Amino acid sequence: MSRIALRADKSLWYKILHMNWGLVFLICCVTGVGIAALYSAAGGSFSPWAERQLLRFGVGLAGMLVIALIDIKIWYKLAWPIYFLGLAMLVLVEIKGHIGMGAQRWINLGFVQLQPSELMKIAVVLALARHFHGASPEDVRRIPFLVIPAIVILAPVALVLLQPDLGTALMIIMAGAGMVFTVGAPAWLFIAGIAGTAAIIPIAWQFMHDYQKQRVMTFLDPESDPLGAGYHITQSKIALGSGGLEGKGFLQGTQSHLNFLPEKQTDFIFTLWAEEWGLLGGLALLGLFALLFLYGLVIGYRCRHNFGRYLAMGISINFSLYVFINIAMVMGLIPVVGAPLPMVSYGGTSMLAALIGFGLMMSCHTYRHSKVTR
Amino acid sequence: MILRQMRRNAIRIEGEHSAALERARGRLVLLGMVFALAYAVIAVRVFDLAVLQGDVPRMEGEVVAADEGLQEKEQVASIRRGDIYDRNGELLATTLKAASLYADPALILEPQKVTQRLARIFPDLDQAQTLKDLEGARRFAWIRRGITPDQQQEILALGEPGLGFEYEDTRIYPQGALATHLVGYADRDGNGLAGVERSYQDVLATGNDLHLTLDLRLQHALRRELGAAVQEFQAIGAAGVILDAQTGEVLAGVSLPDFDINKAGSATDEQEFSRLTLGVYELGSMFKIFSTAALLETVNGSLGQTFDATKPIRIGRFSINDYHAQKRVLTVPEVFMYSSNIGAALMGKTVGTEKLRAFYRDLGLIDPLKFDVREIGSPEVPHPWREASTLTASYGHGISTTPLQLASAAASVVNGGFLVQPKLVAQQDNSGEPEKKVRVISQENSEKMRALWRLVVTQGTAKNADVPGYDIGGKTGTAEKVGARGGYDRKRLISSFVGAFPMNDPKYVVMIMVDEPKGNKKTYGYATAGWVAAPVMAKVVTSMASILGIPADAYDPAKDIVYNLDRYIHDPKHKKGKTLVSYHE
Repeated sequence: MSRIALRADKSLWYKILHMNWGLVFLICCVTGVGIAALYSAAGGSFSPWAERQLLRFGVGLAGMLVIALIDIKIWYKLAWPIYFLGLAMLVLVEIKGHIGMGAQRWINLGFVQLQPSELMKIAVVLALARHFHGASPEDVRRIPFLVIPAIVILAPVALVLLQPDLGTALMIIMAGAGMVFTVGAPAWLFIAGIAGTAAIIPIAWQFMHDYQKQRVMTFLDPESDPLGAGYHITQSKIALGSGGLEGKGFLQGTQSHLNFLPEKQTDFIFTLWAEEWGLLGGLALLGLFALLFLYGLVIGYRCRHNFGRYLAMGISINFSLYVFINIAMVMGLIPVVGAPLPMVSYGGTSMLAALIGFGLMMSCHTYRHSKVTR
Repeated sequence: MILRQMRRNAIRIEGEHSAALERARGRLVLLGMVFALAYAVIAVRVFDLAVLQGDVPRMEGEVVAADEGLQEKEQVASIRRGDIYDRNGELLATTLKAASLYADPALILEPQKVTQRLARIFPDLDQAQTLKDLEGARRFAWIRRGITPDQQQEILALGEPGLGFEYEDTRIYPQGALATHLVGYADRDGNGLAGVERSYQDVLATGNDLHLTLDLRLQHALRRELGAAVQEFQAIGAAGVILDAQTGEVLAGVSLPDFDINKAGSATDEQEFSRLTLGVYELGSMFKIFSTAALLETVNGSLGQTFDATKPIRIGRFSINDYHAQKRVLTVPEVFMYSSNIGAALMGKTVGTEKLRAFYRDLGLIDPLKFDVREIGSPEVPHPWREASTLTASYGHGISTTPLQLASAAASVVNGGFLVQPKLVAQQDNSGEPEKKVRVISQENSEKMRALWRLVVTQGTAKNADVPGYDIGGKTGTAEKVGARGGYDRKRLISSFVGAFPMNDPKYVVMIMVDEPKGNKKTYGYATAGWVAAPVMAKVVTSMASILGIPADAYDPAKDIVYNLDRYIHDPKHKKGKTLVSYHE
């Protein structure tokens, strides 16, 4: 007991020295890839994307380290407030959107256009970890106990759907469900959930926007309209294919530089990277992401308190889900959803959200021996 | 007791706790495996796309092909297509980067309004099609390719975000329709489709400039005069060429109707057709140049030789008649001067089938012409070549050639007797050994032919071709076109003239051909060569003289090269020693 307390109360310098610097190094590597890709996307120029991305990363990295040093107990206490703050921002955006007569997903903070739905993903993870922290194994298997997690997940989902942003909504559901599953909720619930979703699809189809339907149809048969709706995917595949084993070389990607590839600096940045660096470059980036995921799992595994364990896992799941969905999308494995590649795609909020998540994860690591009480 | 109970509870809780922990860790591992699988699927897919499908055309065949085509085009486009110049360095064709306008319909909110505004900038815009494009679902539509900087400025002023520009190499022909059929044109992708643009594709595509033998000033004069003739005589077309009599360089070459090669896409077949090099015509009496030369050259005929033209020659159910019938025995100069078909047929008969045909072949009248454009018509010669064919071919019936071919052969006869191979592209370097000159007739016979040509202008059918002081000579040819039912159509004529000047040592050979002219009041209803083609010659020579700065010589009939032909002329109206041509001085 006293050993743990001692550890937790070590000096700031000790904490800094014993931070998970390996994770920081990995994050820098992935961001480095992103900067290089953005430099290339602008035709070999730091403006307009690479320099801003670098600036944001600098600010975000500092924020991440600060978050990492803050005691996990404080984050535990702040979990619910943060969650409700997130919900409030979503409502605010919704109201603003109504007043502004159109879909709006951002709040302008001056230095960054904040997208509350991105931050909400982390807030949901925090809230779920907080909720499950004190739960006994029996609790987790009781359905009434799972009502609160369901609400925690579905409330933001409903708000995000109103924006409307189906992709983010689905991702919040999947990440949340992944967490609840890991915590130990009955497996049949998930099987039933999947079956139920399958049953709902025909009904949901009718409520979908035309562009969403189009995306699904295009996914099912992208070659049916290679110049129209299937254009993104077809061009993306051509780019990946033309990269070959070793790629065309840095700044040499024709698909992206000749503007065949749309959204090359955001959602389709993996394609740009793989076109220029080939299969080897693509696999190397994938390897970095896999290592990041592994780090998250190990941090969670080594945590001695449930809150930290669930939090680290939840963030890992969230992050990897993003990576998977983005890359699978640009390769035509799943329909096109507007999901950036975390840390690599150009975009402030997505970078910020990822760094905040990793900050919390590192806090879990730093304070893995802390005793977190209810 | 209570304590023991508590401890038991604690153990149970501990046990349950560890079970929960076990399950949580198990689930964590399961989740880890799920994600590992997901990563593996992605990795396999990357491998599949990047390596397995990378090199071979795959399911999106069309798009891939388009992409590869584009890269190929890029490579070619990176070499700027060579320019084309005339002999004085005047620009005939060049390549500029020009903006092309496209639209992204998704960014255009008011297609109707935008279409109207575009129509104001491009009055000939297909509004219905443009509106359809702008309202369509596609994200790309060409509006207009190759627009001018002014138009681009106007588009920019519209401030429409859905309109954008692509910059493409565009072929520009500053002279428009001036040398349509010789320069030809290239398509957007830099493939020459006609003229030297086609025949010198390899040279131009590799970035080399091309220098033509054309002189744009002469080209302009020739085109203007031919155009005026077409207008005046309501002809369906015309052709003409100015050759350097010695080198065969084409100084000007025109075929009408023509078109602005900057807008080649909208040209009609009639406009595309080159009457000068591709059209094959029975050019009639001009062939008497060759049958006469054959008589002098191949059978040592003399100018004093006589031919009985008192009555038509009958061949089966056909007969050969004279247009300007003299109904007497004619000398060679008289046959030539009066353009006697009977006399020419008899000359051909004297030469003989084999020799006449061989002579025609030596002059390049039997085989397709070798020239610097590929639009070359193949001559139509009698097949089989019977004796009757020899008679008709002597005055230009039953044998068809291109006008350029005939002009070249005619030049060979009067230039001192050397074969003329027409050239359109100037020799790139002078270092090569001089071309071997091929003699087709002797100097002496060539000089006789010059006098005969001059005779036609001074006393014969082409008095209208004369320009005082320029010593013009030549030969007319009026041929009836073959009618729809076979046989000749008296109303549809080819009126032509081939001439040269100055006749004592020809520098320039000019050929004029007018297709289906109609006579008018000024010509007393005649549409024959003497009335239609010969005056064009006079006008062209007048222009050439001022353009090239050729001074007119004081005229002395006693020194005219036709003077020594006087003794062969037995026309009762003709008075020896008198001025042969009356001038309005």
